[in-house]
Amino acid sequence: MEIYLPVAEMSVHWLTILGMAGAVGYLSGLLGVGGAFLLTPLLIFYGIPPTVAVATTASHLTASSMAGAIAQWRRRAVDLKMAGVMLCGGFAGSALGVYLFGLLHRIGQTEIVVAVGYVILLGTVGGLMLDESVRTLRAAQLGQPSPLSARMHHNWIHGLPFKLRFKQSRLYISVIPPIALGFAVGILSALLGVGGGFVLVPAMIYLLRMPTSVVIGTSLTQIVCVTAATTLLQSVNNYSVDIVLAAILIVGGALGAQFGVRMASRLKGEHLRLLLALLVLAVAARLFVGLVTTPDDLYSLAVGS
Amino acid sequence: MTRALALLVIVIVSLVALAPFARAQDLVSGLSQDQVEINSSYAGTSIVVFGAIEGTDSSPGSPKDVVVVIRGPDTDMTVRRKVRIAGIWINRDTMKLGGMPSYYYLASTRPIAKIASSQTLARYQLGLAYVTPETIGTHTPAKAEPFRIAAISERARDGLYAQTENVEFLSYSLFRVRIPIPATVPRGEYTVEAYLFRDGTVTSAQSTPLFVDQKGLERRLYRFAHASPFIYGLSAVLMAMCLGWLSSLLIRQQR
Repeated sequence: MEIYLPVAEMSVHWLTILGMAGAVGYLSGLLGVGGAFLLTPLLIFYGIPPTVAVATTASHLTASSMAGAIAQWRRRAVDLKMAGVMLCGGFAGSALGVYLFGLLHRIGQTEIVVAVGYVILLGTVGGLMLDESVRTLRAAQLGQPSPLSARMHHNWIHGLPFKLRFKQSRLYISVIPPIALGFAVGILSALLGVGGGFVLVPAMIYLLRMPTSVVIGTSLTQIVCVTAATTLLQSVNNYSVDIVLAAILIVGGALGAQFGVRMASRLKGEHLRLLLALLVLAVAARLFVGLVTTPDDLYSLAVGS
Repeated sequence: MTRALALLVIVIVSLVALAPFARAQDLVSGLSQDQVEINSSYAGTSIVVFGAIEGTDSSPGSPKDVVVVIRGPDTDMTVRRKVRIAGIWINRDTMKLGGMPSYYYLASTRPIAKIASSQTLARYQLGLAYVTPETIGTHTPAKAEPFRIAAISERARDGLYAQTENVEFLSYSLFRVRIPIPATVPRGEYTVEAYLFRDGTVTSAQSTPLFVDQKGLERRLYRFAHASPFIYGLSAVLMAMCLGWLSSLLIRQQR
């Protein structure tokens, strides 16, 4: 079953794309992540141009994070003030990222930057997660308390100026770290087509020291807004959002996530985190191999001016 | 423009050359369809170019050959060569080839090298070896050659450039060839040219336009994305938000 993607200007098997989105959605429901870090490389492996894959995944993320964000809003587990401050940085980061993305596309370096960016990001995050989950599992086996809570007593963040009171997070901290964090995640979202939740969540817990109860809701709210802005900016600057592809990805992702969430309740949290860490590292390794092995064809072709 | 001129020259030259003969042979050709429409279920198609050679054969002994060429609209191509830097393969050398056909399909009755001399083939740009860019910037042709070859083989891999000997004669004067139009075909105005060769020279030629364009919803979406990108982006965001909201309703219902 073929369907023609009007912006990518190619036809694809829509069932294959739906299946890919469904599988990624299942994993994201199971592991509680957006899953764009899997979806974008998968789309590129399939043959979707990287520019379209990265830009279109942003609108897929808007949808998948939206569902989660709504659930958190109902529970009032969102620090709106914190989300607003982070978004100031997030929008600026997204704008810079989209501009850089267009620039890289014109000089023919999009693919390499996306691949290297993924290897560094996923390698680091995956490594840290693996370390964390192995330690937790080992501690649980020995019957000790989790080593997580004993970490990071005091940090440099409290010495920064421009402090604001965030009531819901019970914090009185400088606005610089949340803005910088939002900015960094905005760039990631535009450049790599990821939501950045797996950077945002640990940073909010360990760096900003926000209470865990509001972290998920606040980060999802931030991701919805930043990916929406990214979608808009990519459409305007790079004409690279394919609305037909986006619709297939969203529907597939939503269906898969339903099953993933149900499965998640049957597995242990530590095991899920270990699984996620291994998955992240596997994607990083696959991309790394692609970077260093001699390509079949040294030449590549870009059509149009 | 240059091709139109070339064709005009062909017609004039062949008229002058054929003048002494009492009854010249003429080639008449047609297409199974004069436009290819790309719609939502488009997965590539094929068109049939057919034709006949009219008039009596003044020299039945000499071989007659038909060459059919389809060219897509001219486009600029940028070819990049990867170089290993610090263990990683990175695009470094870049060459811009201006005015390359976006689609090129040649079909002939015999291998074209046997049909005419290389000068003749080069003049009409017949054969992948003679598909050359109009501009290569400040580079020398020798330096551009590997990039040109790379561009051609890349297009050939995607099914957008090909050279075959598929033209078949159904009878003494009737010929036909089926030409595949792959799914990734670029949009625009194509030209279908048919040449009749006698003894290594073009004795008759005909050119027919072929239009490839998106149709219906696809066309409107493509136009929408390019003509009003802000509103297009906004609708993409709205669609995503609505679908996200719908799926949250679905989750709630199940609980």
